[in-house]
Amino acid sequence: MSDSATNTETAYIDFRNIGKQFGFGDEAFVVLEGINLSITKNEFVSIVGRSGCGKTTLLNIAGGLVAPSSGETIVAGHPVNGPGQGQGFVFQQHALFPWLTAAGNIEFGCRSSNLTKPQKKDLVKQLLDLVGLSRVADNYPRELSGGMQQRIAIARALAMDPEILVMDEPFGALDELTRIELQDELLRIWEVQKKTVMFVTHSINEALVLSDRIIVLAPHPLGVHMDLKITMPRPRDRTDPEFNALYKKIWVGLSS
Amino acid sequence: MNELHRRYFYTAAVFISLLLAWEYATGNGYLKPYRFPAPSQIAKAFVELSNVGFPRDLTIWIHVQTTVGRIAQGYVAAILLAIPLGYVIGRVPVLEKLTNPLIVFGRSIATLSLLPLVIVWFGTGELTKVILIAYGCFWTMISNVIAGVKYVDKDLINAARVFGVKGIGLYWTVILPAALPRIFAGARMALGVGFMVIVGAEMIGTIEGLGALIMEARTFYRSEVTIVGMLIIGVIGFLISSGLGRLEKYLVPWDTGLDEVRR
Repeated sequence: MSDSATNTETAYIDFRNIGKQFGFGDEAFVVLEGINLSITKNEFVSIVGRSGCGKTTLLNIAGGLVAPSSGETIVAGHPVNGPGQGQGFVFQQHALFPWLTAAGNIEFGCRSSNLTKPQKKDLVKQLLDLVGLSRVADNYPRELSGGMQQRIAIARALAMDPEILVMDEPFGALDELTRIELQDELLRIWEVQKKTVMFVTHSINEALVLSDRIIVLAPHPLGVHMDLKITMPRPRDRTDPEFNALYKKIWVGLSS
Repeated sequence: MNELHRRYFYTAAVFISLLLAWEYATGNGYLKPYRFPAPSQIAKAFVELSNVGFPRDLTIWIHVQTTVGRIAQGYVAAILLAIPLGYVIGRVPVLEKLTNPLIVFGRSIATLSLLPLVIVWFGTGELTKVILIAYGCFWTMISNVIAGVKYVDKDLINAARVFGVKGIGLYWTVILPAALPRIFAGARMALGVGFMVIVGAEMIGTIEGLGALIMEARTFYRSEVTIVGMLIIGVIGFLISSGLGRLEKYLVPWDTGLDEVRR
C-alpha cells in the first residue's frame, strides 16, 4: 500500500475503488469490488482471468461504455464519464461498419477530430499503410479475412489518436496462426505509435508475448489477484525457460 | 456458345417443347380448350385485348395502368406508414413488447377476409381497393422494419459511441444503415403481397384492372383471357421487383451484388 500514493501521481489510467454490480437487492450480482489499479503512460497491460471475473466490465468502464456503481476512473488526468473521451476501442468481433469500406471505417475513427478533409485522407492513407492493407482500402469489411478486419479495426481506433487503447480479446475469434501473426503486428504498431494499452485476453501465452505487465483478476474473492511486471526483452521467445516459468506462475494463480 | 448461353438455350428449348406439346394436345382433343386454352388462343386473346379490349374498349393497357396505379398507391402508403412507425417501435423495447401481439395478429388475418368489412366502411370505390393493398403490404413491411432496427449489432452502436457519436446521431449514423438491408428485404416482400391481393381487391365494384379482367373473363368462360391477365401480372411483378433489386444494389452496395462492386 505504501507505494500507491506515488503510483497515483504517475498514473495515466487510474481506477479508484471501482465497484460494479448489475441488478438490485436480492437480484444484485456483484462483478467488481474495490478495484484499485494504476497504469502508467505507454504501458502495455494485459488483464487475464476466468470468464465472469469482470475483465470486460473493467475495460468497458475505462472506455466509458459502462458506468461503475462506485468509485471513479481517471484517464489522462480527467475523470471518465462516457465514451468518446479519447479511449480508442477494439472489440472482440471487429465491429467494423459493414456499409463503409476499409478506408471509410478508418475515416470514421477521426470524425470527431479537428483535422481538415485532406488531412483526414492523409491520415487514413498512413494508417492503411501502417497496418499493411493499402490494397484493400476500397473493399467492404465482408470482403476481408478475419485478420484483415481486426487490423482495420486497430487502424480505426488509432485514427482518433486516442489517449489510451482499450482492446477486448481482439484476437479471440481468430485462428492460431493468424493470431500469432497479429500479436507480432500489434507489437510492431505499438513500437511506432506508443500508446497506453489495456488488453483483455483469455490466453496466458498472448499476455506474456505482448505485455509489460499482467494483471490477474479473480472472482473469489473479487479483485486483483496478481500483478506481474514482465521485463523479458521483446520479441519474446515463446519457448524460453523464463517464459514458461511465468506461464506456470500465472496458471497456478488462475487455478487457485 | 459459352456456359451461360448454353443454359439459356436449354431453358428455352424445354419451354418451347412444352408449349408445342400443349398446343398439340388441345388441337387433338386431349385437353379441353376451355380448361387449357392453347398457346395460340392465348396469343390471339392478347392481340384482341390490346386492340379491342375486354370488355370492349377497355384494352389491356388500361387494365395495366389501373392496377399499377392502385398497387402503387397502396404500397407507397403502407411503406410511408410502416417505416417511421417500425423505426420507433423497434427502438423502444416497451413499445415493441406491447405491439408485438397486435402485429402478429394483424399479419395473420388474410387481407381478403377483410373485404366485406372494408366495403361496409369505405364503400366499393377506389379507396377500398387501395386500403386492402395497403393493409396487406403494411404488416409485412412493419415486421421487417422492426426486426431490422431491433437487431442492430450492439457492438456497432458501441463502436460509434466510442468515436463520439451520441443521442439522435446514432439513429442516423448507425441504426439506419445497419437496418437498411432488412428494410429493403421487407419492401420487396411487401410488393409481392401487393400483387397477391390485387385480384381479390379488384373483385368488387370495378371492371377495370387486371384483377377485374380475370374475374370478368371467368364469368364468360374466357380462360385464355384469364391466362393473359395472370401472365401480365407476373411480368409486371417481375419488372418492378428487378427494378427494386437494382435500386437496392445502388443504395445498399455492401450487402448485395458484392461481385459487381469488386468487378
